[in-house]
Amino acid sequence: MDLVLHSVGGLSLDFSTLPQQLVNGLVVGAIYALIALGYTMVYGVLRLINFAHGEVFMLGAYTALLSSWVMGFTPDAISKAFKADHPLTSSPLNLVIMLLVAMAVCAIIGAIIEFFAYRPMRNQSRIAALITAIGVSLFLQYAGQLFLPANPPPSISQEVNPYQKVVSFVLSPAQMNAAGDVIKPQMDITVTVGKIVMLVTVVILMLALTYLVRYTKAGRAMRAASHDFDSASLMGINVNRVVTFTFMLGSALAGAGAMMLATFEGTAMHPFFGLQPGVKAFVAAVLGGIGNIPGAVLGGLLMGLAETLVTWIGFSQYKDAVAFVILILILLVRPGGLLGSNKVEKV
Amino acid sequence: MKNGLLQLAACALAVASMSMFAGCKDDAAGGNTTGTSTGTAGSGSEQSGDTIKIGLVVSQNGELRPWGVDCEAGAKLAEKQINDAGGIGGKKVELLIGDSNSKPEEGKSAAAKLASENVIGMIGEVSSGITKQIKTVALEKGIPLVAVGATNPEITQEGQGLISRVCYTDDLQGPVMAVFAYDKGLRKVAIMTDQKQPYSTGLSKTFAEKFKALGGQIVAEEFYQSGENQFSGQLTRVKSKNPDGIFMSGYFTEVGPMARQIRQLGMDKAVLMGGDGWDSSDLVSSGGDAIVGGYFCNHYNDAEDRKEVKDFLEAFKANNNGNLPGTTMGALGYDAAMVVFDSLKRLAAASKEINSKNLAEEIMATENYPGVSGSITLKGTHGDPAKRALVVEVQKTAFVFNKAYEASEVMAR
Repeated sequence: MDLVLHSVGGLSLDFSTLPQQLVNGLVVGAIYALIALGYTMVYGVLRLINFAHGEVFMLGAYTALLSSWVMGFTPDAISKAFKADHPLTSSPLNLVIMLLVAMAVCAIIGAIIEFFAYRPMRNQSRIAALITAIGVSLFLQYAGQLFLPANPPPSISQEVNPYQKVVSFVLSPAQMNAAGDVIKPQMDITVTVGKIVMLVTVVILMLALTYLVRYTKAGRAMRAASHDFDSASLMGINVNRVVTFTFMLGSALAGAGAMMLATFEGTAMHPFFGLQPGVKAFVAAVLGGIGNIPGAVLGGLLMGLAETLVTWIGFSQYKDAVAFVILILILLVRPGGLLGSNKVEKV
Repeated sequence: MKNGLLQLAACALAVASMSMFAGCKDDAAGGNTTGTSTGTAGSGSEQSGDTIKIGLVVSQNGELRPWGVDCEAGAKLAEKQINDAGGIGGKKVELLIGDSNSKPEEGKSAAAKLASENVIGMIGEVSSGITKQIKTVALEKGIPLVAVGATNPEITQEGQGLISRVCYTDDLQGPVMAVFAYDKGLRKVAIMTDQKQPYSTGLSKTFAEKFKALGGQIVAEEFYQSGENQFSGQLTRVKSKNPDGIFMSGYFTEVGPMARQIRQLGMDKAVLMGGDGWDSSDLVSSGGDAIVGGYFCNHYNDAEDRKEVKDFLEAFKANNNGNLPGTTMGALGYDAAMVVFDSLKRLAAASKEINSKNLAEEIMATENYPGVSGSITLKGTHGDPAKRALVVEVQKTAFVFNKAYEASEVMAR
């Protein structure tokens, strides 16, 4: 049986590109997972959907951009180097600095947002807090238009990224018939070293998060607060500190995701570009079961894979609709999410 | 409702998608209209007082801002030159500016606001999607509209003698790139279309039609949406078809990163091509080495050896702290404003009453106006000037002129 070109109901499925598409989906999903973690942790502790999270992501990308400029990779310096034919060289250390700066700045921004916007609303109705979150999101977008470089939309120079080498893993070589026609195209996976580095970093960050939440005092306090906020405070846990810590942790992960997306994919930034990944990561968090940490990772990866697989079968024009179809289905069938508890909750 | 999460999530999503698709914003950040009118307001679209008010809708904010600011600077330069030379029939012209914030619906409300301030003519926008909305206001109020960079063919259709433009259309731009690609020896081309932009979908269509008619093959067409930043899924499909060229009909904001990702997937040989949506000095900084060597269709080139181009660039520099326009929208904004002012001059010279109706007729009677972007004739063309198009090559430091195509020679192929 010829496994390469399958026709199912008029769709042509090209199995030779499937492994590549799965890897693509994994990369996209890893970023969604990082952002979704922020949504889910904040929801777990406060039962608040932090809609400003996408904007924290956006600010993380800008922080990475500005720190790359500080390290000398400004557009001016690069065009000068272009003209002089002396390309700038970068070391992995630059990327590590950008990553850490983006994470630290995002953590601080997360803490500030929590302190000024959400803390005064803590004892108000949940819908008021939700509206506040949307307000913060819009505020950051439009304040960003005033203060952030957006004309033209900047992007992190690829000169700063030392991992540009393209590697190709051949899974099965092309087969030709006697006449020299290709009867089965080569099946391979082509990625940049940067994407491998990115996936490894995501795994490291998630392992660190697991350790933090499971085995440290702060993590235990976080889990206690998420289990029962009021009782936790009665048991001597400083819940304000727990909330701040949660926001910082989630925001730092979003910052890391933003830095890696902006550096390895070369995204052009503008103050609204956190919106789309933000909404998709929110869907990922709901899909996995909002409030559930492994669920957010699972949801993110599934979202990434779903999007790429829809493209793979030839419907790239419906790629963005998939997120919302998934959301509707999960709310209808299993509102608690894949890994979430399905307990009835009073509002 | 029993399930709190369900309710909350659904509500939250509704709000989120509202801000995503409709733009939850009631007022523009940067500026609504500059300068309050000094003359007494005329009735309807008649002009009284000592200024002639023309509306300009531009994207002062949002993702089209790079083009918006250039367009505004170009139009303001035209305003200054006319007023410095004594105005029109003794009256000063005044540009009232509305911000579309790069969004069609906000462009519409900006245009409606300008119309309520009794402008007798309107100029704008740089993108087809926004211009379509401004057009509805112009038709309703009977005000002539000169579009700046809206290349979608539908813009001037059913324009009731009011809608015109100073740029070429995608009916020319797409075929020009198709002819160029075919002449370069490309036979298998893939297309990447930004389905959110009427500009991109229209351009992809005209390109594909001409390229197929010439005998080439479109091996794949994949879609994305502006704002997207990872294209690996679509590009993997493109790669499996092994094209020798890729036509990317979207805007530079996505084309730059996409070019990088094309090379990252190992498609080193494919020739990258596009339309005037590529035209920004930022293209090279976001696309890097990947975009260098690509070709796109443009309205004019800074390095052209024509008097209009040289004079314009000199005046623009002097008026903008020594900065040159970053995109061709500087020249097109200037041309659009000048076509309107030139028509007003002819009205004044013939001592006709200056109102919207006469202005519309006079704009449509424009013949061989020597614009920066080439000669503009609107007489008998239903508002679409027959202009030539240039193909330029992207190089590290500049866009270099490669080939010029006359409309007639492309259509004859």
